[in-house]
Amino acid sequence: MTAALLRLVSRHRRGAVLASALLVAFLTLTLQARQDSVPVSFAKRALLMTVAPFIKATAWVGGGVRGVWREYVDLRGVQAENRQLRSQLGALQQRLEALQEMAQENRRLQSMLEMPELPGARPVVVRVIGKDATNWFRTILIDRGSADGLERNIPVVAPLGLVGRVVEVAPIVARVQLITDPVSSVGALVQRTRVTGIAAGDGGAALRLRYLPLMSDVAVGDRVVTSGMGGVFPKGIPLGTVVAVERRSGALFQEAVLEPTADLSKLEEIAALVPHPGRASGAERHEGGGDRAR
Amino acid sequence: MKPSAFLLALVGVCVLQGAAGTRLTLAGVQPDLFLILAVGASLGVAPEAAALMGFLAGLYQDALSGAPLGLRAFTLTLMAFGAARVGRELEAGRPAAQFAVLLGGAALAGVITLATLSFFFGPPPLLATLLRVMVPETLLTAALGTALLGAARLWRTVRKAAA
Repeated sequence: MTAALLRLVSRHRRGAVLASALLVAFLTLTLQARQDSVPVSFAKRALLMTVAPFIKATAWVGGGVRGVWREYVDLRGVQAENRQLRSQLGALQQRLEALQEMAQENRRLQSMLEMPELPGARPVVVRVIGKDATNWFRTILIDRGSADGLERNIPVVAPLGLVGRVVEVAPIVARVQLITDPVSSVGALVQRTRVTGIAAGDGGAALRLRYLPLMSDVAVGDRVVTSGMGGVFPKGIPLGTVVAVERRSGALFQEAVLEPTADLSKLEEIAALVPHPGRASGAERHEGGGDRAR
Repeated sequence: MKPSAFLLALVGVCVLQGAAGTRLTLAGVQPDLFLILAVGASLGVAPEAAALMGFLAGLYQDALSGAPLGLRAFTLTLMAFGAARVGRELEAGRPAAQFAVLLGGAALAGVITLATLSFFFGPPPLLATLLRVMVPETLLTAALGTALLGAARLWRTVRKAAA
């Protein structure tokens, strides 16, 4: 029986390999369709960990090469300084630009440290080392992981506002789902009128504030913050500003388009809000009331 | 393509797609380097080997994105298998024909991903997905793929002449 089966597979090897690969992919997707699957999450983390050192090393080398290049350019400027006053000016200008770059980085890091203390959480500064490998989702890869205390569902913020949440954690890296991801949704509150809704990503650069009661007062320019409902994101983190309000005839709710407060296309250093020891972690907190990932 | 060369190229693509890939964008969308690798590596190999390479490339693409594991693996397995079947014609074709085939392939990969995503996790907004993801990604991937096929042909010609 087994020998016959093996002969059959061998005869149709081409089709058998294709069918097996497709079946594995199909079963893996099926396992994740309803809820998180521990073996699949483990497999995904294991795959990530096999390439994460290369990605971290590339990000590190890239930063180093940029620094060396800046210094090299500076050095050439200093040599030229001895010969010509004009080139001295150029070299100083380049040095000034390099220092301005460092000062900007310092300011960004400083603003992270000066962010208002959120109860029960301490900000851990992380660097963005990669973006999503597909165009279908909006996620980023950061250079810290479970070894630094990161867990699933930890909120991630930039100085100006909410960035997203941690959705996958490996020992040395983690993946953050941006608030603009098509499957992200965050409980939101219009600051002026206290109307609540759900800010969902639409895959583009904007957010859509959904489930706003038809008669509620929402206007262009209103600031929107996290509502704190759902337990994943603390209340009061800036989310975005209303840039358009849409009321469709016959619809039960109105919608607003939000421009995110944080510029999600230019993230470099951001902060993960790691819960203090003894507090319920993001993974343990209740997920509901609008805060939702896949 | 030898397995070792494929694995090396896969690591390279994993590093590039997140970093350098973002510099080469059309309407904020980057080319799908994993698809280009899966199709490129499948030219001139047996379809079953191509399917395995596509599957592995897809798994890594899923691991490096917010996608559920298996989404791109499913798509790239099919694409690589198909590429291995039409490999010789694709390699020998004129650039315009190559571009047309790659355009069709990239579009098909997008449709398969959309269909798989919709089947398992519900349909994403169709118009926004078409305009923001599928169309720019298809154009950019086909253009880059054609350029790389041309470069590979040039490289083979130079090596032949040198030998």
